[in-house]
Amino acid sequence: MIQEDTCLKTVVVTGATSGIGLAVARVLAARGFYVIGVGSNQESCDREAYPRPHRLNFIAADLLQQSEVKQVAEEIRVRLVNGELYALINNAGCVRSRYMTTEEGYEHQFALNHLAGFMLTHELMPNLIKAGGRIIMTGSGSHTGAKIMWDDVMMTKRYRPLRAYKQSKLCNMLFAKALNDRYAAHGIRAYVVDPGLVRTNIGNKRTGWLVSLIWSLRKRAGVGPDIPAATYEWLCRENEAPKGFYYYMCKERSFSRQVTAENAERLFALSERLCGISYDRTDKRTEN
Amino acid sequence: MNVLITGAAGGFGRATANECARLGYNLFLTDLNERGLICLKQGLERQFGVTVAAKACDLTETASFDDLLEFIDENGIRFDMLLNIAGLDHEGAFISRSSDQLASIVALNDVATVRITHSILKRRRTGKPFTIVFMSSLASMFPMPVKATYAASKRFILDLSFALRHELKEQRVNVMALCPGGMVTTEEAVKAIEAQGFWGDITTSPLEIVARKMLRRATAGKSIYIPGIFNRCLAFLGRLVPRSIVAAVVFRRWSATGKNT
Repeated sequence: MIQEDTCLKTVVVTGATSGIGLAVARVLAARGFYVIGVGSNQESCDREAYPRPHRLNFIAADLLQQSEVKQVAEEIRVRLVNGELYALINNAGCVRSRYMTTEEGYEHQFALNHLAGFMLTHELMPNLIKAGGRIIMTGSGSHTGAKIMWDDVMMTKRYRPLRAYKQSKLCNMLFAKALNDRYAAHGIRAYVVDPGLVRTNIGNKRTGWLVSLIWSLRKRAGVGPDIPAATYEWLCRENEAPKGFYYYMCKERSFSRQVTAENAERLFALSERLCGISYDRTDKRTEN
Repeated sequence: MNVLITGAAGGFGRATANECARLGYNLFLTDLNERGLICLKQGLERQFGVTVAAKACDLTETASFDDLLEFIDENGIRFDMLLNIAGLDHEGAFISRSSDQLASIVALNDVATVRITHSILKRRRTGKPFTIVFMSSLASMFPMPVKATYAASKRFILDLSFALRHELKEQRVNVMALCPGGMVTTEEAVKAIEAQGFWGDITTSPLEIVARKMLRRATAGKSIYIPGIFNRCLAFLGRLVPRSIVAAVVFRRWSATGKNT
């Protein structure tokens, strides 16, 4: 089962202790990748790590906190072979039914679904460039109905849970586009996977009873997380990096017309400001 | 507009700070949690490009409190608004809590609030109107078994607020009491609201809206703001029904949700 070409290739999966992330981490480990999973609490990390093979291990970090994103990146770098990271799967995400903020005062869905991945990618970019790596975001077909609310991305005027979620998933698309525009020349490819409707607990964690109830009913129609995991695995496994950027069931899919170079650059600049980082500065450092 | 926010690094403090920053106010933040303050200061500056000063302080410790005032005076900061958000509770049966826990509720919610209000009034910007918001609670409207000390401490704040409002009127000071029901401010609050199911939901007000309306009403000179129609009805009922009956009803409800332990 283990293929030559996957030996020693390291993949990082966030949100890896449940749902889609766990299925992806397992299938990649089974395929011979060395998988580092990031989970939100130590308990679930321990549960999933034991007694699995050494090719799948976990680090606990709360990616809602920017300090922990930086810290987990450091821990990841220590574990890399030759400093090479073959793939980063920004999968961690959440649903909230009420306006809640991180320590920085950033809205939770925007902060976790978009900013955490934005920041982790920045921290690990030198390692990704070294391996000519791939970056995969967990998106959603629901992004097609969304627009970025540029004057109020944190939705403080009136919080609409579903709108905030859709916006965060549009952010994933725009981020992937910006990465391709900027880093294709460095051998980097960024993708967004639409997992479809999947039976996970995303809508039951820290949401109100109403959202939780609706999600419990809705997810019954969903597929198991192994189905979308196959798409992630395919995107990692293909020797020749697939040329598209938005995939559903290993096939390219059409996406929102909001995904433009202009919006992508605007979000990129805003995200850099909100995270207090600069991709350009890091690139120069890497080149030196 | 120079605004001092206490308890700024908590859930409601952050929402309030965001709202003030959006309005372009200059902020002075204080909280017990220094790390949280630094993170919030960074977040506000990155989001809104406003001036933010922050200093960690335990308002219940004299030395720490004096340091805060010294810092303010050294930097010559004078204020136009004080938002007294800091507060705490150790919910549970009176007898099962330690006396230190119970005393700490009063120490922060009442004693520290009185001290900071007095000190900041002395440091108001001259020749300008001044606004004070006191964080009371819907709990201030009723005697509440199982939250007895907390509810009483918030009643103190409510009465203080109404009295100061009249006393300071001539000196162009607006005083408003904020009396919210539940708000999703902490992990514990999320759990507590979920545990109450429908009743938790109906008494819970959206953080972002309460923060915005609080500022709008306080600057418009209102005396009290109870967020949510249902909460306003409860507050009204609380004034009609004799207090001994209210206490009995509240106790029965807590008993039903297993909170009286």
